[in-house]
Amino acid sequence: MGISAVPSGPGGDASRTDPAARSEVMGRDAEAAHLAELVARSSRGHEEAFSELYDLTSSRIYGLVLKVLRSADHAAEVTQEVFVEVWRQSARYAPDKGSVLAWMSTMAHRRAVDRVRSVSSEVARDEHYAVTAVVREADHVWEHVEQKLDTERVRKGMASLTAIQREALGLAYFGGYTQTQVASLLKLPLGTVKTRIRDGLIGLRDALGVEA
Amino acid sequence: MSEIHGAVGAYVMNALDGAELDDFETHLADCATCQREVIEFRETASEMSLLSRTAPPPALKESVMAAIAGVRVLPPEVGAVDPEPVPVVAEVAPRRALDQLPVEPVEPVDPVDELAARRLRRTTRLLSLAVAAVTVVALVLGGWVVSLSQRPPVASATAETELLRAPDLKAYTIDLKDGGKATFIASKSLNKAMFSSGDLPALPGGETYQLWTLAGPLAAPTRVTPDALVAGGSAAKQWFTGPVAQSDALAISIEKAGGASAPTNVQGATAF
Repeated sequence: MGISAVPSGPGGDASRTDPAARSEVMGRDAEAAHLAELVARSSRGHEEAFSELYDLTSSRIYGLVLKVLRSADHAAEVTQEVFVEVWRQSARYAPDKGSVLAWMSTMAHRRAVDRVRSVSSEVARDEHYAVTAVVREADHVWEHVEQKLDTERVRKGMASLTAIQREALGLAYFGGYTQTQVASLLKLPLGTVKTRIRDGLIGLRDALGVEA
Repeated sequence: MSEIHGAVGAYVMNALDGAELDDFETHLADCATCQREVIEFRETASEMSLLSRTAPPPALKESVMAAIAGVRVLPPEVGAVDPEPVPVVAEVAPRRALDQLPVEPVEPVDPVDELAARRLRRTTRLLSLAVAAVTVVALVLGGWVVSLSQRPPVASATAETELLRAPDLKAYTIDLKDGGKATFIASKSLNKAMFSSGDLPALPGGETYQLWTLAGPLAAPTRVTPDALVAGGSAAKQWFTGPVAQSDALAISIEKAGGASAPTNVQGATAF
């Protein structure tokens, strides 16, 4: 589970075979194992393990939720909900179903979109403004190379997608839009959007060397 | 590839709407290929979150740590799947003041897996802004006001702690008619229920809040029993005195000082 190196073979790109890239990959595996250990200790009631888990993951979770909700107050609330839920469910985390970060960010994304959809039914969002804002922010993130290798890796993966795939993924994941809304925003048929989202995820998965 | 299979990406992005989501989840239960893709795509999506990394406000950690101190870790699942939780949708009373009730049920604090929890959320769309019950309970009772340096002692075996740990604990947060949010937490097995609010509006002199226990459906209760009085003005916390085990709903109203024998100005109610 998780991310692993593909040293050779068709589809493995050169960057994954060089030693630096491989040690970085192994570093990620070690980090993933450490997070799993922290969850296991949390499940036995160790608050200091949970505290460390929070320190290591909160910027990922909060950042994702904030990106979707675009409100610091809502984001803090949902982030707290997510962490309380992680604590409650810590004994039920199943490593064979994915990494800790995937487990947590799945939970966070779900709650964030639930929140944004229930909120937007009360406070109608300006969809046009919202989509331009999201796309602009996303472009901003993707255009600027961060120092962190892993971020660069994901950025490269995103850049390897077609513009439509990237936009559809960004609107769905960071924008929190349903596929119907994404189709309407991109003025594409629903079936096309569905396919682009899946193809985009396949492309990114392969670029990142994600294995189940 | 069947058409439903193609929805796997949108599913992981939480981008499927209503009926298609249900269809896909039904399909997913029996499709090994989709199950594998869901796992892979979730890993992939979580990598995307590297791009949006943002440090949370420092105070959030204190708040989270204070919240978990009052939350019990669920035991591991031992093979058996938890029963689907029954959606808690309180009926809205069709008559007199009750039909204006802002009834906002929140998911019960029962052990549920995420999928079941999401189904529950879907069936109770009207939750909207309600905060997750566990969080509310933890915030209200666990120590919203305490700072990290003075966290509540975990082992304090108070009645509140006992209630919070009840296996059949239910918690509901509702908006009150004239403002403020109220949380009802109840356990039939312990025969205990508590009302709490962090922002209960102050009342003019000569008026008081009053709690009620009801039997039967909220729409047509077969019994309405006056319960404890609660002072308004900021934070409030009050145990119900009434027969919780024999009740099906809890309510709060505004009455003349001293209380009433039947509610006149109902502020909110919830079935539980």
